[in-house]
Amino acid sequence: MRRRGIPWLFLLLAVGPVVLGLGYALLYSLGLVGLLGRGFTLEHWGAVVRSADFWGALGLSTFIAVVTITLSTALALAAVLRWQEHTLRGLRTYAFYLPLALPATVMAFLIFQWLGDAGLLSRLAFALGLTNSTTDFPSLINDRWGTGIIVAHTLMATPFLTIFLANLYRSERVREVSQVAATLGLPPGRVARRLVIPLLLRQGRSTLLLYAVFVFSSYEIPLLLGSQSPAMLSVLTIRKLQRYNLADIPQAYVISVLYALLLVAVLLLWLGWSRYRRNTALHEA
Amino acid sequence: MEGYLDARQISKTFGRERVLNDCSLQLAKSSTLSVLGRSGSGKTTLLKIIAGLETADSGTITLDGTSLYRVPPHQRGVVYLYQEALLFPHLNVFENVAFGLRIRKVPEPELRERVDRMLGELRIQDQARKSPNHLSGGQRQRVAFGRALIINPRVLLLDEPFGALDARTRGEMQEFYRRIAAEFRITSVFVTHDLKEALLMGDRLAVMEGGSLTHYASREAFVADARTGVAAEVSFWQHLQLKNHE
Repeated sequence: MRRRGIPWLFLLLAVGPVVLGLGYALLYSLGLVGLLGRGFTLEHWGAVVRSADFWGALGLSTFIAVVTITLSTALALAAVLRWQEHTLRGLRTYAFYLPLALPATVMAFLIFQWLGDAGLLSRLAFALGLTNSTTDFPSLINDRWGTGIIVAHTLMATPFLTIFLANLYRSERVREVSQVAATLGLPPGRVARRLVIPLLLRQGRSTLLLYAVFVFSSYEIPLLLGSQSPAMLSVLTIRKLQRYNLADIPQAYVISVLYALLLVAVLLLWLGWSRYRRNTALHEA
Repeated sequence: MEGYLDARQISKTFGRERVLNDCSLQLAKSSTLSVLGRSGSGKTTLLKIIAGLETADSGTITLDGTSLYRVPPHQRGVVYLYQEALLFPHLNVFENVAFGLRIRKVPEPELRERVDRMLGELRIQDQARKSPNHLSGGQRQRVAFGRALIINPRVLLLDEPFGALDARTRGEMQEFYRRIAAEFRITSVFVTHDLKEALLMGDRLAVMEGGSLTHYASREAFVADARTGVAAEVSFWQHLQLKNHE
């Protein structure tokens, strides 16, 4: 009996606060609680859904998450394909582990130093005669495409994903599996494309999805390196929550609830898709 | 004598350790050579050299009269099976078996027909859509055999393929292999450290010791050689029987 109760207790402790928080956010967004609560209304939901800021933030967050995870996965895969089971050996170990110790704020500051209007790259370009003045250098910080954010996140994600994929390479015994594939007739030039890359991506897909969610909802880096409009979803939410205009607070809660619903939908779709693939689909080699 | 598979005076050294010492091996078509040997005796290295996954320091290997020197593993038609099934974890059972055919760009209808037939032969047709990690050890080995056999390999190299299985499954798999070896007329080298398994699986027998391979002309010669351990085994069981009678 005691054992049977433990999972429920764990679930209550882990999920309970989140559900309570979301419940409060939902009630606040519907005008049912809070300082400005005047009874049930969909006014705040309407305001958010009609707001260009919200859709811009959603689009930018998705764009940054997709581009970051694509770039960093490609770089991590390139490293693992190049060094295989030796990826985390010798000096490379430091190269991949040390960046993980950098706080996001410090990484954002470093990127600011490099890519800012009068940053190191701008000065280097000017010194090399590539630009007429430091202000000619294209603005890569606080731009509408989130270039600085993508660079910072990619620099943080690449070492993490390299370590993850290198460990996956070893645990899945990719070297031996590749040898089996070779004796089955797979030429060396096709091993990466037909075997190693699909194998690592398939086995690591959950972690890649979770990292994309992490980038999607990141705060410090977009706050320091992102533009005012569009801003990333997290920055927009906090901005609305902390504004002097108290009428914006319910909108912050609307965005929070929408964000949570979006994530749950993505996760459910992912789980459903994985189950569908496992049960019915035949994977093309 | 020249065999279908003919390896002569193969030597290999790793660092200061000489792993293979002028090893020679002849194998007739559609026959199985059992190689008995302890761990570290050089069995795996010999198989890897035949498969092209390792290079020999010296010696020659011919298959059906053609030298395998400088022939890469993917063009040898020699499939190497490890102790573990090493299935492709990202593909289901059907796609694991279909792998070699997809590489050869076999048309889809023919591919499906051949894979379905192979799964039927292996008696795992109901597992086709399962992921490898949802299979038992014996089922995984069956899939590994199917994946190899479907491309009609010229030689199958089996490196203790049932070593990771429990005794009962191992017995079933030995029977299974004898059936498919006869059915598919497989030419194979079967490496094992299990005396009984060596005797059960091989048409011919050899012992690997200290990097050297000794062939036996007959089963009787194998039994008579003290190095194979048959005499010690027989003596053990006889002694045990006598003790029980006392």
